Amino acid sequence: MEKVEKDIVEITFHGRGGQTSVTGSQLLAECAYEEGFKDTIAIPIIGAERRGAPILAFTKISKNKPIRTYDSVKDPDYMLIFDISLLDIPRVLATIKEGVIVIADSVAPLDKSKFPDNVKVFIVDATGICIKRSFMHSSGPILNIPMLGAFGKVSGYYGLDVMEKVLKKNFGENRLEKNMRVARDAYESVKEG
Amino acid sequence: MTIIGKNMVNSKKKVKILTGNHAAAYAFRHARVGVMSAYPITPQSPVVEKISEFIEKGKLKARFLLVESEHSAAAACCAASASGSRVGTATSAHGLMLMYELLPWASGTRLPIIINLATRSCGAPWSVWDDHSDFITIRDVGWIQFMCEDNQEIYDTNIQAFKISEDPRVNIPTIVAYDGYILSHTMMPIELENQEDIDTFLPPLNHHINLSDISQVKGVGPVTTPDIIKRKEGTAPGYYEFRYSLQKALENSINVIKEVHDEFAKKFGRAYGNGLFKTYKTDDADTIIFAMGSVSAQARTVIEKLREEGLKIGLVSLRLFRPFPIKYLREFFKGKKNIIVFDREIGYGYEGVLSYELKAALYGLKNPPFIKSFIVGLGGRDVKSEYIIEGVHKSLELAKKGDIIYKTEYFGLKLDELKDYDEQEFLKGGGK
Repeated sequence: MEKVEKDIVEITFHGRGGQTSVTGSQLLAECAYEEGFKDTIAIPIIGAERRGAPILAFTKISKNKPIRTYDSVKDPDYMLIFDISLLDIPRVLATIKEGVIVIADSVAPLDKSKFPDNVKVFIVDATGICIKRSFMHSSGPILNIPMLGAFGKVSGYYGLDVMEKVLKKNFGENRLEKNMRVARDAYESVKEG
Repeated sequence: MTIIGKNMVNSKKKVKILTGNHAAAYAFRHARVGVMSAYPITPQSPVVEKISEFIEKGKLKARFLLVESEHSAAAACCAASASGSRVGTATSAHGLMLMYELLPWASGTRLPIIINLATRSCGAPWSVWDDHSDFITIRDVGWIQFMCEDNQEIYDTNIQAFKISEDPRVNIPTIVAYDGYILSHTMMPIELENQEDIDTFLPPLNHHINLSDISQVKGVGPVTTPDIIKRKEGTAPGYYEFRYSLQKALENSINVIKEVHDEFAKKFGRAYGNGLFKTYKTDDADTIIFAMGSVSAQARTVIEKLREEGLKIGLVSLRLFRPFPIKYLREFFKGKKNIIVFDREIGYGYEGVLSYELKAALYGLKNPPFIKSFIVGLGGRDVKSEYIIEGVHKSLELAKKGDIIYKTEYFGLKLDELKDYDEQEFLKGGGK
C-alpha cells in the first residue's frame, strides 16, 4: 500500500502504558529479521512507566547495512499511533513531519488539519478487533498484534506467514490461533483514512 | 584485526533478537554459572529476571540466592566464589555503590567474580538514565573493567571475562559494563554459540581457593600487619606484598586478555580490535576521536561525514578501561596529531576521567598529540552526532592556534533555555 524503500527505515510507536507498544516495537524487529532484513533494533524510551502514561518506542530496520545508532528517532518513516488522544500532545504532534506515514488505531478518519502536507494516514480499528475477539489482558486490549498486522499490510515488509512464525516463537503454539486471528483481521481491514 | 563484532549477514549460527540485559543473561547461562546472587535495580533487573527464569525452567543448573540488598549480593558472591563456584551478578549505579565495600575484598582475595553493570547515573538528583558515572567509581579497587559497544559484544565479553578472570595467571574479578537503556533495553540480533563450543572454550572452574575443602585452605583474607611476619612454619606476607601481587597480576592480565580475545576470535569468528581497544578508519588518520560505549557508537556514525570534509579522522573505542592499556595506547598514538576525547562522566573537581587517564598515559611522548576533552550525555541526555562534529571542529581550530586549554567543555547543556538560571538557586533546590 505504501512501501518506503531506503537503507534504514525508522518506525516510531506512540502508545500508553499497558497498550503493549514496547513489546510491539520488539516484535516488529523480529518480524523484519525473520523476513530477511539484515539488521534491526528496537529501542524503548524508558522513564517512569505506568499504566496510561504516554510511551514512546522505536524500531529501526535495515535491508543490508548494520545499524550503529542507538539514539532516538527524530524523523520517522512510519508512525504507529496506538491511541489517537496522544495527538493532542504538542510534542507528539510535532513529530508528524512531511512525508511520514501514519497508522492509527481509529474507527473514523483522522482530523488531518493539524498535520503538515503529504502525510499519509491509514486507520485500523485495532481496539474493536481486540474486543470482538476478546484479545485482552488485565488492563485492556492487546493492541500490538493487530497494529503489527496493519503495519505489515501497509508497509509490505512482511506478511502474515512471517508474523505467524514470530508469534509462535514468542507466545507458543497454544495462543497462536488467537494471536493470528486479530493479526489477520487488522491485515485485512486496514484502510486509508 | 578489524571489528567483525556486529556482522550477522548470512550468519549460519543461531541468531536471537535480544536486549543487552538478556544477552548478558544468556552469556551467564552458557558459561554455566553455578551461583547467582543479585538484587534487582533499574536498568539491570531483566538480567536477574531472565536468569531466574532459566533456573526455574531447568535450563541452567545454578543456585539463585535471593538477598535483601546489593551488599549482601556481593558478600554472597564472594563466599560462593571462595567455595569454588563460578559466580556472577549484575547491578547498576547505587547497587554497585552498595557493593563497594566488598569489591576490593573480592579483588584482594583474587576471586574470579563477574559483575555485569548496566551503567546509570549516580544520584542526587534522582535519575535512572545512562551515563558512565557508576563505572568509573570502581576504577581503583583492583578489578578488570570492560565497556561494550553492542549487545553481541556484551555476550562475547562475558564469555571471555570468565576465562580471563579464572586464568591462574590472573585470578581477578571482572566488571562487564554496557550503557543502561541504550544497550540494556535495546533489542538487536545476536549470534548465540552452541553450548558444547562454549564448554570447550571455557572449561569448568578449577579454583585456587576452595573453602569447601578445609584440609586444603584454612581461611582467606586474614589480618595482616604492616610488616611481614616470620614464624617457624614460614614467613607470612604483609598487606603490602598481597596488594603488590594484585597490581602485578593486573598488569600482566593484559597479555591474558589479548590471548583470550584472540582465541575467541579464532574459534567464533568475532573480534573486537586488539581486544583492548577497537579502531575504526585509523590507518591514515592523524586525528582520533577517543571514547567508549554508546559515545563511540555515536562517533562511529559521523567519521564518514567528517572524512568527506577532507579530515583524516578515525575512532578509538576503548574496550578495556582497567588495566588501562598504557603501552598499547602509547604505541598507537605515537605520531598522531590530535585527539578529541568525549566523556560521558565527570571526574568531579577535575575533568572527564577518560581524558585525564589518556593524558597521563601519553605523558613524556615525543611531540605528543593535542588533546581536547568534552563532556556529553550526563543523566541520559542524547549524545547527538552534531556534538561530535562540532567538538572535532572546535578542537582542530584550537590545535591550529596551538591553544592548549585545560578547560573542559560541555555539549548538550541547556542552561540558556533555563531563563533564570542562577547558581545559588540551584544549590537551594535544584532549579525551578
